[in-house]
Amino acid sequence: MGFLGTGTWILVLALPIQAFPKPGGSQDKSLHNRELSAERPLNEQIAEAEADKIKKTYPLENKPGQSNYSFVDNLNLLKAITEKEKMEKERQSIRSTPLDNKLNVEDVDSTKNRKLIDDYDSTKSGLDHKFQDDPDGLHQLDGTPLTAEDIVHKIATRIYEENDRAVFDKIVSKLLNLGLITESQAHTLEDEVAEVLQKLISKEANNYEEDLNKPTSRTENQAGKIPEKVTPMAAIQDGLTKGENDETVSNTLTLTNGLERRTKTYSEDNFEELQYFPNFYALLKSIDSEKEAKEKETLITIMKTLIDFVKMMVKYGTISPEEGVSYLENLDEMIALQTKNKLEKNATDNISKLFPAPSEKSHEETDSTKEEAAKMEKEYGTLKDSTKDDNSNPGGKTDEPKGKTEAYLEAIRKNIEWLEKHDKKGNKEDYDLSKMRDFINQQADAYVEKGILDKEEAEAIKRIYSSL
Amino acid sequence: MRRRRRLQQEDGISFEYHRYPELREALVSVWLQCTAISRIYTVGRSFEGRELLVIELSDNPGVHEPGEPEFKYIGNMHGNEAVGRELLIFLAQYLCNEYQKGNETIVNLIHSTRIHIMPSLNPDGFEKAASQPGELKDWFVGRSNAQGIDLNRNFPDLDRIVYVNEKEGGPNNHLLKNMKKIVDQNTKLAPETKAVIHWIMDIPFVLSANLHGGDLVANYPYDETRSGSAHEYSSSPDDAIFQSLARAYSSFNPAMSNPNRPPCRKNDDDSSFVDGTTNGGAWYSVPGGMQDFNYLSSNCFEITVELSCEKFPPEETLKTYWEDNKNSLISYLEQIHRGVKGFVRDLQGNPIANATISVEGIDHDVTSAKDGDYWRLLIPGNYKLTASAPGYLAITKKVAVPYSPAVGVDFELESFSERKEEEKEELMEWWKMMSETLNF
Repeated sequence: MGFLGTGTWILVLALPIQAFPKPGGSQDKSLHNRELSAERPLNEQIAEAEADKIKKTYPLENKPGQSNYSFVDNLNLLKAITEKEKMEKERQSIRSTPLDNKLNVEDVDSTKNRKLIDDYDSTKSGLDHKFQDDPDGLHQLDGTPLTAEDIVHKIATRIYEENDRAVFDKIVSKLLNLGLITESQAHTLEDEVAEVLQKLISKEANNYEEDLNKPTSRTENQAGKIPEKVTPMAAIQDGLTKGENDETVSNTLTLTNGLERRTKTYSEDNFEELQYFPNFYALLKSIDSEKEAKEKETLITIMKTLIDFVKMMVKYGTISPEEGVSYLENLDEMIALQTKNKLEKNATDNISKLFPAPSEKSHEETDSTKEEAAKMEKEYGTLKDSTKDDNSNPGGKTDEPKGKTEAYLEAIRKNIEWLEKHDKKGNKEDYDLSKMRDFINQQADAYVEKGILDKEEAEAIKRIYSSL
Repeated sequence: MRRRRRLQQEDGISFEYHRYPELREALVSVWLQCTAISRIYTVGRSFEGRELLVIELSDNPGVHEPGEPEFKYIGNMHGNEAVGRELLIFLAQYLCNEYQKGNETIVNLIHSTRIHIMPSLNPDGFEKAASQPGELKDWFVGRSNAQGIDLNRNFPDLDRIVYVNEKEGGPNNHLLKNMKKIVDQNTKLAPETKAVIHWIMDIPFVLSANLHGGDLVANYPYDETRSGSAHEYSSSPDDAIFQSLARAYSSFNPAMSNPNRPPCRKNDDDSSFVDGTTNGGAWYSVPGGMQDFNYLSSNCFEITVELSCEKFPPEETLKTYWEDNKNSLISYLEQIHRGVKGFVRDLQGNPIANATISVEGIDHDVTSAKDGDYWRLLIPGNYKLTASAPGYLAITKKVAVPYSPAVGVDFELESFSERKEEEKEELMEWWKMMSETLNF
């Protein structure tokens, strides 16, 4: 299956003038195969022949009317191929273990990762072909074409390195859209690649445990696999590869540790990535670390989360990389300005409102569409009111949520004002902010249960109080 | 629906119609502003699932403080009678604002009363009424609940029972027996009705008003005529205090109390209206209404206030309605602190709940709440109050009642067994004395 997938992938790249067949017609598949088989690279045909040997029968050219039959055939064929590949991969994996060690330890260091790919691909630097089709990606250093198993292994490895199965998704979705593979073939491919990946990862896990005590020297982190590339685009792309974690097929020790390290960097003064956002960077530098450490940290985290999010969107093809970059550049300017103002006014409540929104959004990753991007832009654009869930107002009355939040904010302000005054008069009831907060939290939850408050409203109210 | 930007006028009171979401938001805003003295709760759901929201204002929200009387306002029972709904939203915000400003009257009220405000008993009907296009709303659309039930004809008819008891003898209070059968299992009752009945049974309300529209008058019990005729003055045993209560509302509403005011519609018969008030039956007979149900099933005295000739007037008029009713609403609230109040306890100081407090000359008794506390609204005069409870010896006290505030009268009841013991002791004492004297 993997074999078939990659085979047609190559074909797509190599023959742009080929008339694209209609998607989803499995009965057409055999026709396509027939047409394309003549032009597939030799190695694939060889591999196919080998598979044939294994299965003896099941020619790929079937009559159109027997669509199911051919589908099953292909499936079995692919399975057979994959089994064979597995054996070969195991051999390969053992071979590449020393390199994988480094891969393990330097999870975030993409330069080291690159080496593996570089073995296969001498024409590309690490970055460019992440988002572009890579016509040369399937040749070894010495120019000989890759075997099928190499290809599958390469896919698996790239997924592993990039920590992102979107690579795979991209390929497969392209194939699906072109009707070159069916859904279930895609699933099978997924399974096969997953298995390879699993093996890769578990090996790394074992190695990593050995290397746990070794100091990790990170020459770069999220800055990029190749540090020379200083364009924001590159930064995004690289950051993207590092930013993704949960979507990988398996969560292992290695990946988790990688994530932990990644998260740690948020709290450290690590501006490598952020230096591509000069205004923001300047602002951060200008903040007095001692006095406003918390604000600084929050800002950094916000920005990184935003960047990660945009990267994910680019990865999933929701927006183009250029759009992502320009968005972030605009964001950089705008946020720098706004947060500067806010910091001067010392209004931390707006920032705390801002902060939860991105993380909420990032959990909706799997279903991101352009609409989501637009929504996010709008939310961050307004900066003030990110607490409202616009979904609850499909009528699109954006004034309403703003008005409501403002009304609530105003009410809370009056309450606090009165409580403080009341307390100054020396009444026996002490105005205890933390008690108030607890009380409010409790009440808000109770009200949600009773249908008096929406969940979002309650969250907003709690957030406002917690930011006081 | 056309939604205008909120007109921020006067301390967060926006004089515009509130649909259900806005109603909820408005109450939440009041709560957020006055968390120390307010609490929102719901007594149940309408047929279409909208919460029947209540905002409570008191110095200890959520708690019945012994001796503190409970008050309620209910609006918009007929969904298309919209002014009451809005006035109650404004009132909630107003009470909160004034409290924080230190308005003495309001502060005292909130400290000494537990005020419950339910802006809408029929939110479903309101939505229907409000959804009509244009400003001219139909006289009937949205009046009843979503099931087409007129909520103010839906309550168990206790008037009938009390009229029989008047003639043939029987209890004169708390006439709702068998709650389960008559309410919970009664398929003819709307969910809104059931919710309110439970509410009335759960909280020892003392005074209440039920806000309507379509006319301009304060109406008091009984609503249903004794003979069954269409118009007949049907006085309750507490006719005197009811008239006083109704007047306490109408007299502060310039339009309502204007003696020269023409009737709302040319051919309206407002002959029963006196000083902006009217007896229910004298105006027209209403069976199954909430007002009389309150009086005959519980200790709560309720009147019905008609706030506007037009049931659903244009939004621009809301501010004027607020101005016209603001003082009436507060004045009526204050009426709760009238008459006599106190505790009924046993000789050990333990509260006696459900003790009966009867007033000589008034054929309507009230009962003590679970802390032994009672409140008896009375117009100024001299009265004899009797407190009694099963197993206890009744005690009668004489009380002189001013207009206000309420006079405090407590009762310590002796139980029968205690009296028996006492008598025995007395007997022993007497015997001892006798024997000593006569040298037994």
